[in-house]
Amino acid sequence: MGDNTREVTVSTEEMAWYRVVGSKVWYFFNSLKLTLSVLITLASVSIIGTVIEQNLPIERYVETYGVKWTKVILYTGINDMYHSKWFLSLLAALTLNIIVCTLERFPPKWKSLLNHKPQKFDPRVIEKCSHHYSATLQGSLEEAREKVLNVLKRKRFRVAAFPGEGGHGLYAWKGRIGRFGSDFTHISLLLILLGAIVGSFAGFKDFKVANVGESFAVPYEDFSVRLEKFWIDYYDTGQIRQYNSLLTVVEDGKDVLTKQIWVNEPLYYKGVRFYQSNYGVAWNKVEEAHVAVIRKGGTDTLNPVKVKWGETKRLPGRRYSVKLVGYTADFAFDEATSTVFSKTAEANNPAVNVEVYEGGKLVSKPWLFIKYPGIFPAIPSSDDDLVFTGYKGVMYSGLSVNKDPGTNIVWAGTLVMAVGFFLAFFVFYRRVWVHIKDAGRSAEVRLGGIINKNNLALEKELEDIIEEIRGEGERQETRG
Amino acid sequence: MILSLMFFTFSFVFYLVTALLYLGNWFLKKKWLGQIATAMAYVALFSTSMILITRAGESGHAPFSNLYESMVLFVWATNAGYLLLEYRHKFKSIGAFVMTVEFVAMIAASLLPYKYKSIEPLNPALQNKWHWMVDLLKPYGVEKYAIGWLDFHVFTTFIGYAAFAISFGLSVMYIIKNRLDTKGGNNVLAGMFPDSKVLDELSYRAIAWGFPFLATGIVSGAVWANYAWGSYWSWDPKETWSLITWFIYAAYLHARVTRGWRGKKAAYLSIFGFLAVIFLYWGVSFILPGLHAYA
Repeated sequence: MGDNTREVTVSTEEMAWYRVVGSKVWYFFNSLKLTLSVLITLASVSIIGTVIEQNLPIERYVETYGVKWTKVILYTGINDMYHSKWFLSLLAALTLNIIVCTLERFPPKWKSLLNHKPQKFDPRVIEKCSHHYSATLQGSLEEAREKVLNVLKRKRFRVAAFPGEGGHGLYAWKGRIGRFGSDFTHISLLLILLGAIVGSFAGFKDFKVANVGESFAVPYEDFSVRLEKFWIDYYDTGQIRQYNSLLTVVEDGKDVLTKQIWVNEPLYYKGVRFYQSNYGVAWNKVEEAHVAVIRKGGTDTLNPVKVKWGETKRLPGRRYSVKLVGYTADFAFDEATSTVFSKTAEANNPAVNVEVYEGGKLVSKPWLFIKYPGIFPAIPSSDDDLVFTGYKGVMYSGLSVNKDPGTNIVWAGTLVMAVGFFLAFFVFYRRVWVHIKDAGRSAEVRLGGIINKNNLALEKELEDIIEEIRGEGERQETRG
Repeated sequence: MILSLMFFTFSFVFYLVTALLYLGNWFLKKKWLGQIATAMAYVALFSTSMILITRAGESGHAPFSNLYESMVLFVWATNAGYLLLEYRHKFKSIGAFVMTVEFVAMIAASLLPYKYKSIEPLNPALQNKWHWMVDLLKPYGVEKYAIGWLDFHVFTTFIGYAAFAISFGLSVMYIIKNRLDTKGGNNVLAGMFPDSKVLDELSYRAIAWGFPFLATGIVSGAVWANYAWGSYWSWDPKETWSLITWFIYAAYLHARVTRGWRGKKAAYLSIFGFLAVIFLYWGVSFILPGLHAYA
């Protein structure tokens, strides 16, 4: 923040208005107070969205909170809070804050780390350090210098020497890169955010339902996917173990890839992922239907034939054949368009559509109802009637179809984040000054150091260093 | 079948004894008590590890899938973190606080209703194994021991929780010490505490461990969700609360490193952060509905 004084000292009268506004905006976003207040605000308001359930139908809010509060909730967008303009603005403010702070702080930091070595050695700096120690070593100044250098090198410090009259200065440092930890971390957050934005604009999310044996076209792509099979695995206890679909990718009329997917294991093809999402019994198709012939108004014992989907089958003892052409799970008829549709996906009123042939000639095409046998005569000109007695359903599989080109950016972001955390929390920038003064037949060593964070680690290391210097002296003494 | 229960019972007793020993060491200032306390803490750590291992053997999956198992993991990680701290800095009075928390956590775990405790097979959404690991283990026929995103996600998150718990203990100690220091006189009990500056620094260091681990837990959860369901983030209450907690600790780190928040302010923020962790861990599971209701 101190770096900003230059903008303030420039007289605002000489600047164009947009530069004035620009520098004010810049100054606003270059503030750590902003960081703290946005973080605390985000933390506080996020709670609201976890207490008030999100994206409910309006009636539910009215039920729980009353009309007056529902108005407030809708007005403030709390019903979809995390996508509301004000919440997104907070996130945007944090993002701008990170960008401006990084741009503002990185270059001077880079420079100061490149030019960290002092021009000349001033022993007074040692006393200014929060931690400083001293030791007296027997022997000459040169011997003492060698000892200290050895210890520092063993501790993986890099050393610059400042020889002088009657005393030597040593400046040692390590862990410079640790100071970039915060920058790496901040950049990683921006990358992850960028990945999410790219994904939401350049990708798509869709939901597809396929009956077993059918295929669907993949949106925005020139291939389709066929569902071969859907099945459920169970544990011995009867609990569901897994939902599975077998999918085949069809491109240019050819099967190019078949893969089994389950929850936690999507199919990936040309940037599109297919996730197992739900399943059920199809409402518009059956595998086979059971159809029987009875006398009109009669209650004969039934001996139904099993007709497969799309198959034509001769009814035993009759001149008629039936072909199974349609099914609807919850029969409804739209009079306006004269079309049949399924009211729900549940089998509330199952009905099949069959074509009846007599000697190869289509005579009628009735709907038969399991719950209402004989409600409409199936073959108007005949004494025979058809009834629908049962069926074997077809499973469908619901698949989330998803393309997210931002994924790789997010991956890169997480890697950068890991590096950033490691540097920020476990690599420390330490600088140590040592002054060795000639004291006749001995040398006096004084050392002090600073660290960017984690003072305890520095204290321990400096104590180690001074102990080792003393120890090294003693070892040499006994040897000598 | 009941091997893990046996180890749980042992651990329960061990944590009680360890906590009492550390408390005794703190009150009576006997060095030998402290040495036995540390030894007992290692025994308790071993026993807790055995709960996790036997439980994994009994259920056939890593023991990270319900509230009870996660409590044991929390106790284990906190104990391991504490012993690392004691080994590096040699302050035993902290143990009185941490081990008491451990014992309380063991009581809580044992009091959980049956449905949070029973061994259940993994539901479809939780079954995830890393392909590369399965492929790696397959030649040896032990691919069922491969781990996946669930295990990584839960484990890293709980290392984070444990570090925050330790930071919380240190911050409470700091505040006690600070209060007694400013009152003057030398209180016998607080005299056993490390210097308040050291407490402050250690509390920060614990957060410096917890923060990246919580972040790894959050990010791995998001990556897993994207892999398994196709979306990184859905503002599920657990997700949101983890982010809230992360924001609080991010604020702590920024305030400390760049605005020089030390001592009391930092200690209160750390305590506040841990309250958020408790809510994130227990509050969300019991009060707010969502994907993470199981743990």
